[in-house]
Amino acid sequence: MQFLRSTSDDALQVGESSLYPALQRLLLNGWVKAEWGLSENNRRARYYVLTAAGCKKLRTKHEQFEERIAAIRKVLEAT
Amino acid sequence: MRRLIQRLRYWTGRKRTERELAEEMELHRAMRQEELERSGMPGKEAGHASRRAMGNVSVAREDARAIWIWPWLEGLFSDLRFALRGLRRDRAFALAAIAMLALAVGLNATMFTVMNTMLFRGFPLVQENDRLVYIQEQGPSGCCMSYPDFEVWRSQAQAFEGMAFIAERPVTFSDGGESSIRIVPFTVSANTFELLGVQPMLGRDFVSADEGPGAAPVAILNYRFWESRFGKRDDIIGSTVYFDRAPATIIGVMPDGFDFPTQSDIWMPLAHTPELHQRSGLAIFEDPGGFLAFGRLRDGADLDEARAELETINRSLEAEYPETNRRVVPTVKTHSQFFVGQDAPMIYGLLWAAGWFILLIACANLANLVLARTVGRWREFSTRIALGAGSGRMIRRILVESLTIAIVAGALGWWIVNWGVRGWAAATASPYQILDHTVDSGRLAYLVAISVAAAIMFSLAPVGRVLRLGVNGPLRGDARGVTRDPRGKRLAAVTVATQMALAVVLLSGAGVLVRSLFNIVGAETGVRDPENIVVGTLRLPPDRYPSPESRLAYFDRLEAQLTSIPGIDAEALAVSLPVGNRYPRAIEIEGRPSPPDGSEPVGLLAVGPDYFRVVGASAISGRDFNNGDDRPEGLPVAIVNQRFAADFWPGEQALGKRLRAEDGEWRIVVGVVSNIMQGDPLRQQFYPLIYVPFRQEPPPNQRPASFLVRTGVPPDQVMQVVRAEVEQSDSGVTLQDFATLKASFAFNRDRMPLAHAELGKNAAMAPIFAAIALLLAAIGLYAVVAHSINQRRKEIGVRMALGAAAQDIRRMVLGDGMLPVAIGTILGLAASLAVNRVLQSQLVGVSPNDPLTMAGAPVVLILVALLACQIPARRAMKVDPTVVLRND
Repeated sequence: MQFLRSTSDDALQVGESSLYPALQRLLLNGWVKAEWGLSENNRRARYYVLTAAGCKKLRTKHEQFEERIAAIRKVLEAT
Repeated sequence: MRRLIQRLRYWTGRKRTERELAEEMELHRAMRQEELERSGMPGKEAGHASRRAMGNVSVAREDARAIWIWPWLEGLFSDLRFALRGLRRDRAFALAAIAMLALAVGLNATMFTVMNTMLFRGFPLVQENDRLVYIQEQGPSGCCMSYPDFEVWRSQAQAFEGMAFIAERPVTFSDGGESSIRIVPFTVSANTFELLGVQPMLGRDFVSADEGPGAAPVAILNYRFWESRFGKRDDIIGSTVYFDRAPATIIGVMPDGFDFPTQSDIWMPLAHTPELHQRSGLAIFEDPGGFLAFGRLRDGADLDEARAELETINRSLEAEYPETNRRVVPTVKTHSQFFVGQDAPMIYGLLWAAGWFILLIACANLANLVLARTVGRWREFSTRIALGAGSGRMIRRILVESLTIAIVAGALGWWIVNWGVRGWAAATASPYQILDHTVDSGRLAYLVAISVAAAIMFSLAPVGRVLRLGVNGPLRGDARGVTRDPRGKRLAAVTVATQMALAVVLLSGAGVLVRSLFNIVGAETGVRDPENIVVGTLRLPPDRYPSPESRLAYFDRLEAQLTSIPGIDAEALAVSLPVGNRYPRAIEIEGRPSPPDGSEPVGLLAVGPDYFRVVGASAISGRDFNNGDDRPEGLPVAIVNQRFAADFWPGEQALGKRLRAEDGEWRIVVGVVSNIMQGDPLRQQFYPLIYVPFRQEPPPNQRPASFLVRTGVPPDQVMQVVRAEVEQSDSGVTLQDFATLKASFAFNRDRMPLAHAELGKNAAMAPIFAAIALLLAAIGLYAVVAHSINQRRKEIGVRMALGAAAQDIRRMVLGDGMLPVAIGTILGLAASLAVNRVLQSQLVGVSPNDPLTMAGAPVVLILVALLACQIPARRAMKVDPTVVLRND
């Protein structure tokens, strides 16, 4: 969350709880794995790890996204 | 797929997962709070701020759930719970709806199954019935088959994968012991079972060598016969039995439930006798169904192609053998056309349509019921809509409730189908019609489909109303504004009118069918008190009575025994019973040139001297036969019936005229007797008949003879004795159709021409459908009228307070209820004029627009409708204005 907010210079701001439906969707598709572990100050916390399928998906999605952005930019610049 | 498993895993552990999710989110929040506190925010404020940062936690939680479980599925469960609760609360409604729908879908699916069986399914166990065609020949002299023609077909026709020939062969059967019985096995081409795709369950099939000249005689048993005669002994294969005292080896047993082409105990290979190879075809003694060919169509060939091909072959045969094959054409038919009749699609299509009529009537009732129920819950629905329930959600709720009813009704309907088809099969079983009555998954799919379709049909009206329902109406005041909606009233009137119209169509259809049946079984036969005449048909074992003399000796013995029975008034032998066969012969009348192309053949019956006394015919003129006539060397005399005298000697004296049959000796007409029904299975006309003394023309070998006994005491007192005497006369004689003559006049499909063979079933089913339709329509009318009166109690109260008498109220209610009935009746009558015309081919002695039926059906309907209106009308009259008006 913090990462999102800080790297996007506060342009992307969402309710923090809406993280969880997104995580659940990733779980359902098998793109992340969830494990219970201990946090830095010894509390039960859940850790989400990207799976191999998730990595692959991320890469293809990333590429698709880049292509699309590039295309939009080209169209915008042409006008 | 993997996702589905994931979802299922989530579903099973959903409590735990949800708890974990909550814990996780709480941890997230707590960490945020700690972080804020560390940065110096006071504890309480940090708690608030962290919560703000989280956003709407419950929405997130819902969203997370929705990812795992389809929300509509969850909603469906809640709707289902809701529907079950609602139905439990309104038990009367639920029971009525389920009972009506179960009856309707059950009947509909039963008729669908029956229609399928009669039209498409063919023989049980046989592979690909729809590729089989059944072939006979039709010539100027009637049916049946010439084996040499068949051989030409088999060698030349391209449309067939294979063909086989089937012939009946009556024999006496014995398994080596003393007792022998007469049976009628089928002799078949060796490839018959192979063509059918059915293997013997024990032993081997016929091979072509079995059919060849000099082959050892073999036989294959029917399962039923194997069970009853041999107690299912496995070692039966290879044992020896005797047909007409000649030994034969049993080589196989066919599987349970297999019969082909009609019921028979034994199959044998085709015997290539000289008679079989006669070009002119086979002599037919009794059932013309006994000879036929069948073929399996080659892939890609169809019935019409096969027919055209055989017709071409027959034309060339006609050119080649003008003597025997003149105007002989093949008849090529499907199973249904051959065994059920050409009209079968019309008959069973209509029965199925009747099933749909019932279902439509039931759906109309249900629509009204569900609508009334929805109207009763207007406030609830409005409240829900006001609170934000979408109309989609409301519609789904109604649909789920309807589907719940439909599912329960469908389950009951499935039971009705199984029971109904079994009942139908038992009630209509005939040895001459082998049918596949199994109820399989295809029927189940149909039942499910119509149940769901019905649920959707009867939900349409309430759904339509919900769509128009706003928040305002019902919530504002009481429900009056909505319920007096003229549209709802019009809808109810339309459903009532439709129901009545459908009921009228069914009633008038049933009416003409039942009248046809009564015209057959109730026809004037010319026999007096047939209930006091005991009759039976005898078949003598041909091997034991080869000569006419030996047969006459047997008849002498039998008659002596019969006359000695106390309680018997008179007894006579005859070649055929009244209403039975008339054995037509070409005749010649003295002094008249015989017409060159053969006149219409005339029935000639040999009867014993007391025959006319037994049947109670009255002599018009002349004398009866006497014992002196009834000897082989007796005076050649004849008695003709009234119809004969009127046809051949109009205005002349028949007595003393001479006539002869074909090349027989000349006979003097000594008497004219009243008409007795003979030779017309539909019993609509008296044919001209000639009677001759029994012993002058006794039945030839293989042909049955009948006896008639008039009793002075109730027949059931002597029937046992008569049977015992007949069995004692010779144990090898088979006694068939032993009953009173009255009982033998009952409708029997096996004695009817194929075109009317199914009439008995129609005429039995149609009134049942009509009665159910009438009942359902009456219930529907009652419900509509009762409901409208309930809604109008206040109005009625006001009218009464203003001075309306009870009679006025009654008139108002009846008028309201009967108007749609009247409209429906008129529409129904118009429709039945069309529907009954389709039935025409089934009708006997009655016009499709039979005035009695056309007048009777509306009268019955209106009486029932009046009754259905009367009950709520009476309640309306009892409305107490003071109570109703104060209540508001």
